[in-house]
Amino acid sequence: MAKEPIKHLSLLESEDLEEQSGRVQLRGQEVARLFRLLGGHPGPLWIGILLMFLATGAALLEPRLFGYAIDDAIIPKNESRLFQLTLIYFGVQVLRVLTTIGQGYFFTLLGQRVMQELRQSLLTHLQRLPVSLYDRTPAGRLVTRVTNDIGSLAEMFSAGFATIITNVLTVLGILIWLFILDFQLALVAMAIFPILAGFSIYFSARLRIAYREARNRLSALNSFLAENIMGMRVVQLFARESRQFARFEQVNARYTSAQIESIHVFAYFQPAITWASGISMTAVVAVGGYRAYHGDLAVGVLVAFFAYVLTAFQPLREIADKWNLFLSGMASAERIFSILDWPVEDEARGSLTVIDRSKLPAIRGEIIFENVWFAYSDENWVIRDLSCRIDPGARVGIVGHTGAGKSTIISLLLRFYEPNRGRILLDGRDLRSFDRRELRARLGMIQQEVFLFSGSLHENVTLFREGLEGSAEIPLGLQEKDLYERGVNLSMGERQRLAFYRARAAKPDLWILDEATANVDSTTEQEISALLRQESLGRTQILVAHRLATIRDADLILVLHHGQLVEQGSHDQLMKIQGVYSKMVELQRIEGKAQSAEGQRRDSDQRVGSSVPSGPA
Amino acid sequence: MQGETPRSPLKGLRKRWHESALLRQLMWEYRRPIAIGLLTLVIVDILEVIPPILLKHAVDVVVERKPLEEIWWMAAAYFFITLIQGFCRYGWRRYLLRSSFFAGQDLRNRFSKHLFSLSPSFFDRKRLGDLMSLSSNDVEAVRAALGSGLLVAADALFYFVSVPVAMLILSPQLTLLAFLPLPLIPWLVARNERLIHQRFEKVQQSFGKLSALAQETLTGVRVIKAFAAEPGQLERFRKAGQEYMDLNMSFARVQSSFGPLLDFTMSLGLVALLWVGGHHALGGTETLGTFVAFQRYIQKMVWPMAAVGMAVSFYQRGVASSRRLQDVFDEKSEILEAPDFSQSELNHAPGPRAIQGEIEFRNLSFRYSGSEENALDRVSLVIPAKARVAFVGAVGSGKSTLLSLIPRLYPAFDGSIFLDGRDLNQYRLSELRKNIGFVGQDLFLFSETVDQNLGWGLDEVPARSALLKLSERVALDGEIERLPQGFATLLGERGVNLSGGQRQRLTIARAIARSPAILILDDALSAVDTRTESRLLGELRSREHRCTELIAAHRISSIQEADWIVVLDRGRLIQQGTHQQLISEAGGLYRDFYDQQKLEEELAHYGERADQAPIAPGV
Repeated sequence: MAKEPIKHLSLLESEDLEEQSGRVQLRGQEVARLFRLLGGHPGPLWIGILLMFLATGAALLEPRLFGYAIDDAIIPKNESRLFQLTLIYFGVQVLRVLTTIGQGYFFTLLGQRVMQELRQSLLTHLQRLPVSLYDRTPAGRLVTRVTNDIGSLAEMFSAGFATIITNVLTVLGILIWLFILDFQLALVAMAIFPILAGFSIYFSARLRIAYREARNRLSALNSFLAENIMGMRVVQLFARESRQFARFEQVNARYTSAQIESIHVFAYFQPAITWASGISMTAVVAVGGYRAYHGDLAVGVLVAFFAYVLTAFQPLREIADKWNLFLSGMASAERIFSILDWPVEDEARGSLTVIDRSKLPAIRGEIIFENVWFAYSDENWVIRDLSCRIDPGARVGIVGHTGAGKSTIISLLLRFYEPNRGRILLDGRDLRSFDRRELRARLGMIQQEVFLFSGSLHENVTLFREGLEGSAEIPLGLQEKDLYERGVNLSMGERQRLAFYRARAAKPDLWILDEATANVDSTTEQEISALLRQESLGRTQILVAHRLATIRDADLILVLHHGQLVEQGSHDQLMKIQGVYSKMVELQRIEGKAQSAEGQRRDSDQRVGSSVPSGPA
Repeated sequence: MQGETPRSPLKGLRKRWHESALLRQLMWEYRRPIAIGLLTLVIVDILEVIPPILLKHAVDVVVERKPLEEIWWMAAAYFFITLIQGFCRYGWRRYLLRSSFFAGQDLRNRFSKHLFSLSPSFFDRKRLGDLMSLSSNDVEAVRAALGSGLLVAADALFYFVSVPVAMLILSPQLTLLAFLPLPLIPWLVARNERLIHQRFEKVQQSFGKLSALAQETLTGVRVIKAFAAEPGQLERFRKAGQEYMDLNMSFARVQSSFGPLLDFTMSLGLVALLWVGGHHALGGTETLGTFVAFQRYIQKMVWPMAAVGMAVSFYQRGVASSRRLQDVFDEKSEILEAPDFSQSELNHAPGPRAIQGEIEFRNLSFRYSGSEENALDRVSLVIPAKARVAFVGAVGSGKSTLLSLIPRLYPAFDGSIFLDGRDLNQYRLSELRKNIGFVGQDLFLFSETVDQNLGWGLDEVPARSALLKLSERVALDGEIERLPQGFATLLGERGVNLSGGQRQRLTIARAIARSPAILILDDALSAVDTRTESRLLGELRSREHRCTELIAAHRISSIQEADWIVVLDRGRLIQQGTHQQLISEAGGLYRDFYDQQKLEEELAHYGERADQAPIAPGV
């Protein structure tokens, strides 16, 4: 099961390395995929393109109009023509400003819409990935994909893409225009152009290398500094401050020299453009001036040439600069698309639809484990040959030391993972034959760590599902309170009660409590216990317990040790065996005594410290 | 300092002045290259005035039939000017921008140097992310203000001085006309700056919200999946994404319209020029060449107008960042070196082993700054040199605090801790710490090779024989050799990840590598199994240079062999004695602790037996 995502994961890790080595290549597949996305928004796409052509046209026309004014109005001293041309000129300027603004607006809109769509499908996809993937991938890295990579893609659309096309259009337009105006002079003026264009390509490549080097060295600098801040105690305890600082100076100098290299590249490129346009203008002044002097060339055309030639060279710089933006956008696109290709949990189901709980048939709650073996990786068995039967409506406790495999059983029941060998039957049906989400929708789960979402209390109970009641009865007196960053303003007890109401809102046929009351004081524990008893009447309850007192009255207690079921029976039966269970009970008795001596506050501190979060080691 | 500032209208200005201190200081330090850079910039900008005049003359030569050879002169002059301009453009990049990068390097150095001098309480207070952002974003903002900011400001200034002057000389009347739309521009720039700033803030906030939501959805994915509640999350995310998109669009409306609007405003000048200037040229009041030159000049004025706005925002960001950096520079370490006389006294003392390692706590109380409770409450204890003392107590009992006061990670009052009979605060910090081997709970190893980590406290990486001996002492022998490159194996993110037990033993080896007079193990054996632990503790005792050992532990096996055991509870010393004495105190905290430990060990032992003979579960 978990094998496939691992392969893709290594891909994810290698991407970061790839970025560092700078091997960004354009693959037809990715480009085609991007174009398909663009095609999904024909409105802004085509309006943007149309406006772009108009804007470029207007920009090209503008200098020519000055030339016309000279040839048609000023030299022949035609005043009405001058008035006419001024009006036209004004019109062209108005057109230019409107189309330029419009073009920018529509391309940004296009980029934003594509991003919103991509972001949404990326998050949908991420939510459909198997849980095993989240055990291995830091959430932070995935968040970077959802936010930063999509951001750099948006920038590519709004800044890179449009700028490159506009500039290419401008250059092409100028070239064509010049050759139409006067072929010979255009040839003279643009003789240097291919050389500079070639130089631009070289420059762009050098700039990319320089940027990449600077980026790599910056990340080396940042990780050096971050590591030293984190290990500052060790640095200071060993009195190594000055030596570490000397090393920082080196790393810093390396970064600075890479930055300066990129400045140098620019420093060479800008004069190159200046000189190229200077040579070009010199040629135009000399040849054009000579020909105009001899009446071979209209003065207006000459003036237009001045304006065009001066504007023909700057776009090269823009293109060279923005090309890198474009490439990094493509690299982001590739990373995003690669995630979208990861296999999801339920390939067969198309999308994540809202489940109508009332339409699902009820579960009786009979669970049978048949020789279940499970390992998170290879042969490191976490569950070994587990076989047992849980009657419908029974209250079952699962106990065992940390790492005994208690929480893994819960994960298997939720189908976060599948057994490697053996099977689990629910109401006589193999768990694998259930639809995952429909199965989960009928389970009520309470965990030790209550994950809180930013939002109101009500939203945290319903988990943003609409049409769920359960809000009316939150006796916390906090209904109006918004929960911020992971609910810092709720106490442990309040969180646990909230978790209870959250589970109840799902109207579960089967209750699962994974060390649910380990962090709360005994009053809250009793309160939640009572509520649970009342709500879960006649329904199967599975309680993974840290405090053994919680499950003293359970119908069945399963004792796990290193993944094996070592004892099972009621509390009294197990106490008689004098085995693991009875030792655990004795241990907790002493612990309880020590705690009451030390005081309640430290008791809970210690427990938080020693309890191990879920997830494989 | 804050209270002393008088309330006066000058306050705001003075505040600004103070805030930009760092910026000014750097500018002063780099005054030479900055001056050269600005000089080349002036040359570029002044020369920028000439080409339109050359074009004007060329056109006039053509139209007014002046001698043809003047055209050649014009062409040659044009070429010559661009040649110089090219060199100067290279020059200002090289001098102005490059020195700004050096200034950035300086600032980063200064920042990191300052961090190395600050005490742990500073790092307890600050988040890593914030410090990193200071060293990258804020340093960059200050650098940009010095480089691009200064450049843009100077460029705009020179343009304003040179171009309009040239225009005035050519034709005062047309100049007035061309600058008719000029008053609009500062208004446009100011409005744009304000709107951009406001909307950009909102976009950033919304981006933060969106990121937080993505983070929340991905970290809470198990809960969401367990309740099959994915659609609700997606809807939330869609709404947040929509909001982000809308804000981006409202930002784009301002941002993408600014450039074209600026262009348009200047082109109104061109329209006026075409109409009125055309008339003049037509009527012969102005030459056609002047008309052409004006076209070029007006277009040249677009950039400096935009540059003013850019310069202002560069400067504002630079000042804000310089203030944030200054706040950190104003932080002082709370661990102070003793006054000079004691240093000289110490310099006369014989070598580092002169410290024997007798420690006395004399009525020691300690409170973390910002905390209301005493972490330590009137602790008095004498530890003879070369003794092994164990510290027992629950989390928060004050063990770690007590131990961290000895290498002066936090400041203790004068007269409360004595080392070899001398007040701890009288020792020079580096000398004191060189004599203490401290192993804390965080087990921090650097992402360097194993031998570099082992030699962390030494002047150079120890020889192989020394390394082998060291690894034997901490019961790591054999394990390091099995690593891919032995002692040369790289650790950390890009290297090998060690187990908790291996890390603990490595950090202990690192601490004893420099033969300290005092060894402190703060819960540093928790991940090592009991057999290895007893071997390690035995090795420490049998060393020829035996030292004072202070061990805080949770496990009875680490403790019972100690010469003396101290039990702490809520910062107070409540029991002390040998193991035998303490377990005979029925009802004492130590006795409970001992019973609990014994049972836990039995349970773990039970597990080992169960492994060998699995019990068949009956169904």
